[in-house]
Amino acid sequence: MKVLTARAAALRLGLLAALLLGSIVLGLAAGPSSLAPGEALRALFASDAAGPAADIALRVRLPRVLLAAAVGAALAVAGALFQALLRNPLADPYVLGVSGGAAVGGILALSLGSALGWGAAAVTPAAFAGALVTTAALYAVAAVRGRVSSTHLLLTGVVFNAFASAGIVFVASLAGLSEGTSLFLWLIGSLSAVRTEAAPLVAAFLALGLGCALPLLRDLDLLSLGEESAAQLGVDVTRLQRVLLLSTSLMVGAAVSVAGLIGFVGLIVPHLLRLRLGPDHRLLVPASALGGAAFLVLCDTAARTVLGGRELPVGAITALAGGPLFLYLLRRQHLQSGTP
Amino acid sequence: MRRFALCLLLAFASHAAAEPPRVVTLSPSLTSILLALDARDAIVGVDDSSAQAEPRVRDLPRVGGLFNPSVEAIVALRPTLVALVPGAQQRDLQERLAGLGIEVLALPNIGYEDVVRSIARLGDRVGRGAAARAREDAIRAAWRDAGARVEHRARVRTVLVLQREPLYVVGRGSFLDAMLDAAGAENLARRFDDPYPRVSVEWLIDAAPDLILDAADPTGEAGAFWAHWPSIPAVAKQRIVTLDRSITIPGPYLDRSLAALTARVSGAAP
Repeated sequence: MKVLTARAAALRLGLLAALLLGSIVLGLAAGPSSLAPGEALRALFASDAAGPAADIALRVRLPRVLLAAAVGAALAVAGALFQALLRNPLADPYVLGVSGGAAVGGILALSLGSALGWGAAAVTPAAFAGALVTTAALYAVAAVRGRVSSTHLLLTGVVFNAFASAGIVFVASLAGLSEGTSLFLWLIGSLSAVRTEAAPLVAAFLALGLGCALPLLRDLDLLSLGEESAAQLGVDVTRLQRVLLLSTSLMVGAAVSVAGLIGFVGLIVPHLLRLRLGPDHRLLVPASALGGAAFLVLCDTAARTVLGGRELPVGAITALAGGPLFLYLLRRQHLQSGTP
Repeated sequence: MRRFALCLLLAFASHAAAEPPRVVTLSPSLTSILLALDARDAIVGVDDSSAQAEPRVRDLPRVGGLFNPSVEAIVALRPTLVALVPGAQQRDLQERLAGLGIEVLALPNIGYEDVVRSIARLGDRVGRGAAARAREDAIRAAWRDAGARVEHRARVRTVLVLQREPLYVVGRGSFLDAMLDAAGAENLARRFDDPYPRVSVEWLIDAAPDLILDAADPTGEAGAFWAHWPSIPAVAKQRIVTLDRSITIPGPYLDRSLAALTARVSGAAP
């Protein structure tokens, strides 16, 4: 097991912060328009910025890059916590259907909200409720003595995802065609939302979720020894599980409510970081926040630049990167355990 | 005996030819074409969207949504013809209906010629050929007149928006692209070789349109949405014009839609 000194851990977190900063600068400098990178960056800092450069840099790219960073961080931290909670490296909010549960909650609020006059403000709390219910149900169904086998986990995830997809299609069908079309597009996963309050909203939920989880990271390390051993070492396992359930649901709910279903971020980022930094959650969780933010900013920059003025859904890019890695992890775990 | 059989065959054939058409339409644009041709009696069933869009067919049996029509409900209506707009989802349906011996008329509605031709083809099939020809002539005449009127005028740099979030606009090849051209607009999204491309807001700011025609729902939010980017000339000059959704339907009244669009574009001309 790789164990790092405090100084080495701080150095690695510093490097990840530099990577995030670099990806943000790239995201702000690159885009489909003819605006030169230097001009875009100058427009960000000019006090009297006006014209297309200011519109593009300040009102299109900046909110979007910040949203990508917040959503990426939320999904990656949620992934790292899920993997610790379920003691399975394949756990990811998207694969498990927790994101789908959040989407069902959000979509219900979106459809019923227009009829009941709730407005868009109800979407995020409803998505959080959807994520919370799904996580609790997943844990209740799949966990045996707090541990979840890969087979159980993946099968439950398949069923939950199918259920969530059916729920989404059902609500979208009831909502009528034009609204249904936009619901489906929302669920493909996109960061193109214009609302400037989206990034601060996700950041607030991320801070809340992290605030709940950070004091418990040492207990999370002990949980990897097994529930009974952790309890013998003084960990209040039930409380730990409940707090982490709440924390992950807060983050996934907020991320899904503004960006739709973006898959595999919670799988790829914590896994790659665990390989480089070791399993210590006191380092892995903050590192996942920084790495997840950088990863999604880079993916979204690719999504909005590779086809010129046309846009790719960012979920397609993360799935292209995450799908093969997921299969590789599954295969590797299968070979290591030797079970069918 | 042989003569008797021949007489029987001819009698059966003439009876079959005289049988009134029983049509199921699976698209609101095709339903409205039949209604415009005064062929309401020929329709025996419609899709859900047609029933929502057209009060005159609301009492007819429904056969499901645009993307999930029920084969069983269609077959139960004993149609002589099913008219639909071809698409990826409809291919399977087309094959299944053909396998059941039901004739399917697939009428594309992407381009201008597609829409005009579908009026004539559908009219011929329900015995309303003359009415269809008259509608087609009216549309072509309106197109010619509009083209002649704007021929020497400066074109208005325009983007026609179909959905705001995510942003979908009218690109090259759609009937709306042809309509923008005839109305005197320069469709800036023609650079995208796709009738309805999803584009980025950044591209639109960079394209700097002088007129934004916004056909997205809800129309009341258009002004607040576009006000986010004051550098767009159309925003600065307050030339955000909301369009009635009916203008964007590939139906039988393209001439009226063109007239409405021309009025909006002319109003924004320098």
